[in-house]
Amino acid sequence: MARILMAGTHILERPESRISLEAKGYQLINCTSIKTAVGLFLEDPPDLLVVEKGFGGTGDMDLIRVASGCLQKTNIPILMILSREEMCGGLDWRTLPVDDLIERPVAPEELLIRIQLAEARMNRVFDNNPLSKLPGNTSILNAIQNALTSPKPMAVCYVDIDNFKPYNDHYGFSQGDEVILMVARVIVNVIDQAARQHSFIGHVGGDDYVFIVPEDKVVEICDKILANFETVRNLFIEPDDVRRGGFVEKDRQGRETRFGLLSISIAVVPTGHGKFQHSGQVAAVASQMKHKVKALDGNNYLIDQREGYSPD
Amino acid sequence: MEDAKRQEFRAALHQTKNLPTLPGIVAKLTKMADDPDTTTEQMGKVISQDYILAAKLLKLVNSAFYGFPQRISSISSAIILLGFNVVKSLIISASIFEVMEDQDVELWQHSLGCAVVCNVIASRLGVKDPEEVSTAGLIHDIGKVAIKMELPNEYEMINRLVRERKMSMRAAELEVLGLDHAEAGGWLAKGWNLPKKLIEPVSCHHDPRQASAEQLNSSIIHFSDIMIRGLGYGHASDNKVPMLSKRAWDLLNFSPTDIDEILEQVEEKLWDVKGFSLEIKAEDTAQATG
Repeated sequence: MARILMAGTHILERPESRISLEAKGYQLINCTSIKTAVGLFLEDPPDLLVVEKGFGGTGDMDLIRVASGCLQKTNIPILMILSREEMCGGLDWRTLPVDDLIERPVAPEELLIRIQLAEARMNRVFDNNPLSKLPGNTSILNAIQNALTSPKPMAVCYVDIDNFKPYNDHYGFSQGDEVILMVARVIVNVIDQAARQHSFIGHVGGDDYVFIVPEDKVVEICDKILANFETVRNLFIEPDDVRRGGFVEKDRQGRETRFGLLSISIAVVPTGHGKFQHSGQVAAVASQMKHKVKALDGNNYLIDQREGYSPD
Repeated sequence: MEDAKRQEFRAALHQTKNLPTLPGIVAKLTKMADDPDTTTEQMGKVISQDYILAAKLLKLVNSAFYGFPQRISSISSAIILLGFNVVKSLIISASIFEVMEDQDVELWQHSLGCAVVCNVIASRLGVKDPEEVSTAGLIHDIGKVAIKMELPNEYEMINRLVRERKMSMRAAELEVLGLDHAEAGGWLAKGWNLPKKLIEPVSCHHDPRQASAEQLNSSIIHFSDIMIRGLGYGHASDNKVPMLSKRAWDLLNFSPTDIDEILEQVEEKLWDVKGFSLEIKAEDTAQATG
């Protein structure tokens, strides 16, 4: 059942609040110190956060940032408690990524119904990949479509892991999953640092990912992703295989074959200047690029340099 | 210490969530985190100079939640996988020593110095991943802080023995607790789900013979601990240089020329980190008096 973190001193001041929530099976964690609350997000993140405005000085903002940037669980609904005056004073939603508001003093029946709504809404919009928690195909198609019409020139990038299938056969699927997660983290963290504002990252499934970033940042981002992957990769490969530069596993035809170490290929399709009309065209160019970049050894990315769209 | 007490201490270690670190480090990192131009690498560099934060970072990335149990053994990989936001949260949630003692700064410096020597030796021996070795060197004395925090009374007794009977810290630990900080550190590292590659060098740094898979790395940590104490950089609770293990010495197989060259490289690298530790000391004094 859902675990709710209550950060503040007045949220549960009426005993009925706790009783009615616990009667519905919610598990409540009450935190009155900002440090403990942030620590909890790191160690064992809750499913939902209720935070009091002004809690711990500016600690409420720190906590909200931590919650919305939480890697293990994305889309943790955040409910903020504040006074009517604070609501009327106007709030900047760009810097305050909360999902709902509750007026102070908190009425127990309202708290319950808002929490239930937040939960229902989260389940509705969820097309995220269960492993990486990144958005899935519906969101990816929407994001590509948005990139085509964006005033800022964007680049759609398709990532996949070379030799992933034999790696998965050789090391087992649970370690294969770790690698899938590792690549997702590498991509997310690089983009988070370089271009959080306008970017998108999705997970098609398996070892296929898509990210969309401003075109002027794409070289920097691809270089960094490849470099970081290179740093981390060997922790996922047996030292003996690293030394030999690969491993032996059966290929698709069942023949013993030597495969190289894991590497990453990125096919980059810049979509600026109204080059494309719909996402299908982007996918067609991407598949040509993917073919070319996969043919190269090791970690690589290739950027489509053609001026217009030519479906050949 | 009888078995029941050992078990109790082990259970307490298992629960240990928050080992405190130096206020100066936390203040510096908080300042960096607030600056939008700070990169993850810059923060990683500072964290890799603090043995407590480094251990906590490794604990996080190897926890079941983040999906890489017992796999990540270097700070730079941990930072790549956790990202800026998590590193920032780690700093917000970091606790600091409520009462700062000179010992805390000295042990911090000793740990940093040991990591520097480890790195020089590992690179020299062509070890595959020198950063992994210096990471183990950085956190090798983590058991000392765990004893201090979890068993404050026994810790007092240990310190009294060190002062009054001029014993080494380790001998005093063995007398009072029936185990030493190396074993305690190994327990902690194991409870925190760190990779075996880090656990062994921590738990065997006073007796590399006990290591199985990590003989060489444990020997490097063992020797680096001795060398940095001999150089008098930082201070690790007593002023005794630990006994050199013959096994480690044979394994490392250094000639006098090797040692000279290692010393030269170490001195040079220590010079680099010295500015940083002066800065941290100054911050700590400012925090204590301000």
